[in-house]
Amino acid sequence: MELLSILTPMFFALVAVGTVIGIIFGAIPGMTATMAVAVCLPLTYSLGLENGLALLLGLYVGGISGGLVPAILLNIPGTPSSITTTLDGYPMTQNGEGERALKIGITSSLVGGLISLAALYLFAPALADFAIKFSYIEKFLIIFFALTVMAALSSSLLVGIFSGFLGIFISLIGAYDISRGGNGELRLVPEFLEYYLESGFSLLPVLIGLFGLATILIEAERGMKEGQGLSGVKIGGKPFKISVFKGQIVNLFRSSAIGTFVGILPGVGGSAASILAYSQEKNFSKNPEKFGKGAPEGVIASESANNGLTGGALVPLLSLGIPGDSTTAILIGAFTLQGIQVGPLFIGNNPVTWNAMIIAMLVANIVMFLVMVFAIRHLAKVVTVPKNILFPIILMMCVVGAYTINYGVMFDVWTLLIFGLFGYFAHKVGLEIAPFIIGFILGPSAEIYFVKSLESFGTFSIFFTKSWIAGLLWVLIALSIAFSISVARKKHRIENGSDKP
Amino acid sequence: MSFDSPFNVTIDFSTSHMIFPTIIAVILGILLITILITRGSTMLATVTNGAWWPAGIDHKRFFGTLALTVVYFLAMPSVGDIFPNTGLGFYLCSIPYLFALSTLFLHERSRRTLSIAAANAIIAPSVVWYILSELFNISLP
Amino acid sequence: MTGLFKSIAVAAGFAAMVASPVLASAADLPSNIRLVIGSKSTGGDTYQNSAIVAEALAKKLDINVKVDAVGSSEAFKALQRDSRGTTIMIFHDQSYLGNLYGVRGYDDIFENYVVGPTVAINPGNAYLVPKNSPMQSMEDVIAAAAAGQRIRVAIQAGGVSEIGFSALKNAVKVSYPGAEANIVPVNTGSQADKNQLMFDGQADVINGSVQANEQFTQLSPDDQKAMRFIWLTARKETIAQANAEGMGDTTRDELLAFTTPNVSVTLDGSKDFTFDKEFFFLFNKDMDADQIAAIDTALKEIYAAGDIQKTQKASFFIPNYKPQAEAATYLKAKRDEYRHVIDAIATK
Repeated sequence: MELLSILTPMFFALVAVGTVIGIIFGAIPGMTATMAVAVCLPLTYSLGLENGLALLLGLYVGGISGGLVPAILLNIPGTPSSITTTLDGYPMTQNGEGERALKIGITSSLVGGLISLAALYLFAPALADFAIKFSYIEKFLIIFFALTVMAALSSSLLVGIFSGFLGIFISLIGAYDISRGGNGELRLVPEFLEYYLESGFSLLPVLIGLFGLATILIEAERGMKEGQGLSGVKIGGKPFKISVFKGQIVNLFRSSAIGTFVGILPGVGGSAASILAYSQEKNFSKNPEKFGKGAPEGVIASESANNGLTGGALVPLLSLGIPGDSTTAILIGAFTLQGIQVGPLFIGNNPVTWNAMIIAMLVANIVMFLVMVFAIRHLAKVVTVPKNILFPIILMMCVVGAYTINYGVMFDVWTLLIFGLFGYFAHKVGLEIAPFIIGFILGPSAEIYFVKSLESFGTFSIFFTKSWIAGLLWVLIALSIAFSISVARKKHRIENGSDKP
Repeated sequence: MSFDSPFNVTIDFSTSHMIFPTIIAVILGILLITILITRGSTMLATVTNGAWWPAGIDHKRFFGTLALTVVYFLAMPSVGDIFPNTGLGFYLCSIPYLFALSTLFLHERSRRTLSIAAANAIIAPSVVWYILSELFNISLP
Repeated sequence: MTGLFKSIAVAAGFAAMVASPVLASAADLPSNIRLVIGSKSTGGDTYQNSAIVAEALAKKLDINVKVDAVGSSEAFKALQRDSRGTTIMIFHDQSYLGNLYGVRGYDDIFENYVVGPTVAINPGNAYLVPKNSPMQSMEDVIAAAAAGQRIRVAIQAGGVSEIGFSALKNAVKVSYPGAEANIVPVNTGSQADKNQLMFDGQADVINGSVQANEQFTQLSPDDQKAMRFIWLTARKETIAQANAEGMGDTTRDELLAFTTPNVSVTLDGSKDFTFDKEFFFLFNKDMDADQIAAIDTALKEIYAAGDIQKTQKASFFIPNYKPQAEAATYLKAKRDEYRHVIDAIATK
């Protein structure tokens, strides 16, 4: 058994160490799973393939999971894929249920991680063959579908959609990215900013500016009074019981499946997974009005989907040699460093490595769960730290995250400030941040797939006639839009009704 | 982008960077007009009745935070330039920034709260700088 | 343990620790060098090759060399700002091809920077067709274009991925003037996108690489994903230096069947076009010549010692050290040759 000789104590220790470091990276606002994998990649030179992968996969699983901590406790998504976790997780914290929300989130993460791992292990090659049926057209429709979510996440339909399109518009600033198939020409950039805005605004600084800095500015405006807002929350609230998952089995499986599936599609982007899962849960829910006010279902959907991503993103990596998200793009480096090719023959040619990876992922998920369960009680106390100590530290970490995301670009730090102010004023004038950031994330992909579809096929009708998958996606899009409108109408009626004396 | 028939289009690669931004701009314009039509009157009422920003906010803390942050961002690369590629620009600027911000946010400046702020301002950047710049070899300003 | 030592020094006072190397005589290299690269990916060939070179340099000169994958435009900006030798850059032929293709953000590197030395070649640049394509070779492709068939080639515009396409177009023009209009680009992005265009039947030929596409060439022809190499742009001499095992299940000798002279894409009717993706250093124009010489000498000694070659070859790079001055002249001549190709097929 060659596999057994690889599964040394060292192997398991590396998975555990990786997972813990990953959780720390994910839990610090501004630091991401991608960054954790990138900084540890050089360490794997000396470790050998399987041990190196053990470390990196631990980092990957830990990093994706850690993102829920600041999302739930501080309303700052630790990674872009935990944006939808903030929507219900943070209200739960404000209700004094931070610890409960964290436990719900972490359990969902475990389930999502395990379901996607099973999918990876059992169906990787078949899933990869399915994934290549998605051309530009189907990918555009998936993005379009995810964008319809903007409506579901808005408190006012019209303003929400406007905010979302504004997000798309701002995401297009800069060059039409050559590396994604564009022509490299600038658009929407004033001449005096050309030097800085060549590659537009980076996602991470925008994200932590809108969520982190803007929140702190709002607190500063209110005078940083203790006992208000963030630190006013009481600890305790409802305790976590496993029974919260009763009736959530469908949600768990659907969200994990959505996460896995989005992970499989290269170029769609990991953040789309939790966004889609969250909105589907809201659409199917009997009480959609509870979402955004601390509904555990929202946390479950979001977190099971973003951990579902981990197994999914490895499918195209290991069966097509193509990374499914930004973190797995760095994993490719780990393979080439060791002289191993990833591609359609990888699994067949390297059964030992393949099995070792699956075991590493499995262990990483379990370690992640155990570590978090023990750490949660202490983590949840973060909200009791005085604001005058906590906020400056968060600001500093946001700066570190912004500066390091592109390996040292000072303009990214200024982006943080620009979008901190933008978020602050958006709050003042009533723009909605959640649809805005979703538009910002999905905008560039929507553009490339839309324009390339037309470039290749030269007709709009192709969006309807390409394949049965396209047809199915249109049905989903229509349902999603119809649902949002009906919810908005219902809400409108209720509001109007209660306004009458 | 040119239309051969209602459904068929030909896209010129060299100008394709403007297609999507134009579409989005048009949609944004339509949405804006719709918002103005449906809510223009309520919006106008809020603007004319409400107090103008920045009235009624904590000026000292709000603008103090902004000013300190701008100074911090300007100082980091300049100081970093004196000690290139060591991350010391970040380290040396973070300590006063953290202390100033912590003190600004304080309501009750006693010896105890100030010394906590000072300790935090020294410990936090030291830990971050040591772990990231020294252990993980990550570039900091 | 230098990290721990440094932090103790920091606690005691900064000045002594870091200021001294900066103040040392100009010919000495700074103790902390930032090596920026023209790629944003830390999983790609530029990063991998730069990391190998940076590690060797750091060991040889006993300094810190940190590789930052900031991407081409930020890398050029960072290099332009810093003439002290604390920022240096590694990039490949994209740096001047971007300029030749008129991509925004690419200046003439030979005017604005000090170019060279070269360190390695990635010999993998390749063109592929679907395995069950009626066109089985480059000859078939050229003949089909000559016969009036539209050949769609998936590339990424404006650089390394396009140069082979331009050469193919030029070759058709040389042999069958007028028929070059049948070679049309499908401008796309990553390798994933290029492969996908082939799977969708939206491209007849795709640009790819030996490293990323070799396994696809091993699939059975009835698999939708199966591909076939038809051309490696590298020089025959370059591939000949690779390890005999080649890549994956394709040996070096099998790879040689896809290079010139076995596959001919003519440059001018007599000579074949070749393209090697070479990695080289770029320095700020005003950087101290002694500092550049110090790096150059260190590299010369590293290559003379012979260990780096093994590391490079194991990762399918071909070692290719040329001293700074020689490299600059060589790359300039290479650039001029490609300028002719690109000018020849320009439609204007």
